[in-house]
Amino acid sequence: MILSLVTKNLRRHPVRTGLVVLGIAVAAALLLDMVMLSGGLERSFSRMLLSRGFQIRLAPKGTLPFDTEATISAITPVLEGLAADPDIETAGPVVASPIHTRSADSLVALVGYGIDPAGQGLYQVERGTDLAPGDTTGLLVSGPVEAAIGWRIGDTVTVLGRLDPQSAEAAIQRRLVVRGAVRWLYDARGQRSVGVNFRVMQRLGRFPGRDVASMIMVKVRDGADVEAAAARIAAAYPTIGVNSVAAMVTQFRTRLAYFQQLSLILATISLVVGVLLVGTILTIAVNERSGEIAVLRAIGFRRARVIRMVMTEGAVLTVAGAGLGVGLGLVTARYLDAILTSFPGLPAAISFFVPDRRSLALSTLGLLVAGLFAAAYPAWLAARLPVAEALRADAE
Amino acid sequence: MMILWLALALSTDLPGIAIEQRLANRFTLFVGDTIALTPAADQTVRRFVIEAIYQPRPDPATALRGEYQVRFHLPDLAAMLGYPDRVDRIGVAVTPTVSPDSAARRLNQLAFGYRAYPSSTIAAESSQTFAVVSRFHRAIGLIAIVASAVFLLCIMLLKVEERRLDAAVMRMIGISRVTIFKAFVLEATLIATVGSVVGVGLAAAAGAITNWVYQRRFETSLVFAYLTPDIVALGVGLSLVLGVGAGALAAARLVRARPLALWRRAA
Repeated sequence: MILSLVTKNLRRHPVRTGLVVLGIAVAAALLLDMVMLSGGLERSFSRMLLSRGFQIRLAPKGTLPFDTEATISAITPVLEGLAADPDIETAGPVVASPIHTRSADSLVALVGYGIDPAGQGLYQVERGTDLAPGDTTGLLVSGPVEAAIGWRIGDTVTVLGRLDPQSAEAAIQRRLVVRGAVRWLYDARGQRSVGVNFRVMQRLGRFPGRDVASMIMVKVRDGADVEAAAARIAAAYPTIGVNSVAAMVTQFRTRLAYFQQLSLILATISLVVGVLLVGTILTIAVNERSGEIAVLRAIGFRRARVIRMVMTEGAVLTVAGAGLGVGLGLVTARYLDAILTSFPGLPAAISFFVPDRRSLALSTLGLLVAGLFAAAYPAWLAARLPVAEALRADAE
Repeated sequence: MMILWLALALSTDLPGIAIEQRLANRFTLFVGDTIALTPAADQTVRRFVIEAIYQPRPDPATALRGEYQVRFHLPDLAAMLGYPDRVDRIGVAVTPTVSPDSAARRLNQLAFGYRAYPSSTIAAESSQTFAVVSRFHRAIGLIAIVASAVFLLCIMLLKVEERRLDAAVMRMIGISRVTIFKAFVLEATLIATVGSVVGVGLAAAAGAITNWVYQRRFETSLVFAYLTPDIVALGVGLSLVLGVGAGALAAARLVRARPLALWRRAA
């Protein structure tokens, strides 16, 4: 019966009800977007880092992986030490360097990764074959390289090493065969990256010391404590920065704290807008219907029932608005994500707005609580309405 | 990435460096102190004397990273890094009559080993991040405008509908529809104006709090939130247009209805 009364009340002013639902929908959309933004970046970053199961990264002390051109020196004993650790399943070194190739009469800049195919967490093979261990003539290319230079699987191509800054000439070049097309997991959109054997890239990159790596990726065995393994490695190699995924997510969160704060502020504003809308509309509706409410009370409606009626009205408005807002929020999230993921250098796998059940549930629940909170004051007004006085005023 | 070690020894023969004020504050360093620096944890440590403490120009590209700046004499840094006779970049000032673009083109034709860019190109490249943030802010602003427009429309509609009885009485005593409409629109204009002024005050307060919080957090004099005349004009203009428009819409609905119907609905 209460639901039927509420529906009739809301239908009585269709324009007003429609506007309130629309207002709540926009507030709900903004709230959902901000809930997604507050945790989406972290989840997306964490998912990206763990996509190949490597939980620890070793990078030059004081840097994050690929943050600078700094390298870890004397890596052979480090790799031997890691291999001897019973908790470590795999340790794969990576070395990165700017390299080039010639296309027509131009030099084309590429990002070159040197990897150990036996322990790599940088890419997924999409077509062709992976590099075999010890394959020093194979090359892996990304989609942007295929599109820009036209290299195809099976082609034999020439890659130039790091250029001399004075002469713009490469001291070393290699003829390599394209073995496969891969998706580099940490690359920015459109980044032209190629992969070769680790030792080949050390030579192409002309690093001052040959036994260097930009990063070592470590996979800890199932069941082993990742943080304990990271602490053990850090203690064994004090000159190397050891970052577990959790630690990197923390650093990432610090760098992008702005988005969390912004999402908190805007989520609060959207809740306030929702509360104001529902509260204002219901307060006015209760004042308008004071005569009706008095009649209901006079024919035996208890105070609790009146409160339930007004609260249900608030809940119906909020749920209708939230339902519409979820769809609107998902659409605007895609639009906002497209803007933010165009940050220069941001890995293509990163998303700022990640829709998931938790975000949906949290924003819907938050809005519903806000709607009920907003309905509490008009419900209280309706419940304490002096029946005789209201009936007399209505009759006059 | 430099690594800084605090050294106790003092010497006048050491090369000098300048450090930024934040670094001096962080480690309680003074002019004349000696500090030890190394390019990496496992490389040779070199000692330097602090010759100056300076306040770097606020730069949004670096301020939020929290990194500290140290300035060396070029040969000292090159020696420490093991890169003698090598620089990352050279700044070139052209004479006022020469276009930076043509100078850059000429320099690029002269020799290999470097690439010359006009400052405007570098500025455009390095401001890409801020351009993205700016686009994001505009998109969020658009959503906020839609939300506030709906909110304003609701409030104005209710505000005018509350006046049904007044409208009915005015119509019954012979006041024309146009006059009633004008009266309600005038009322909506007044409310929208007062709301806009309060809104500008709130925005100024929110901006001041934002700047206060972030300037302290990142130890910078950068201004994070600007309330420019353009923004004020946009905000006030939108509020007035939306407020007056919503008021006019609601008033038009009200004056179209018959007085008796208004009376009945109001009662």
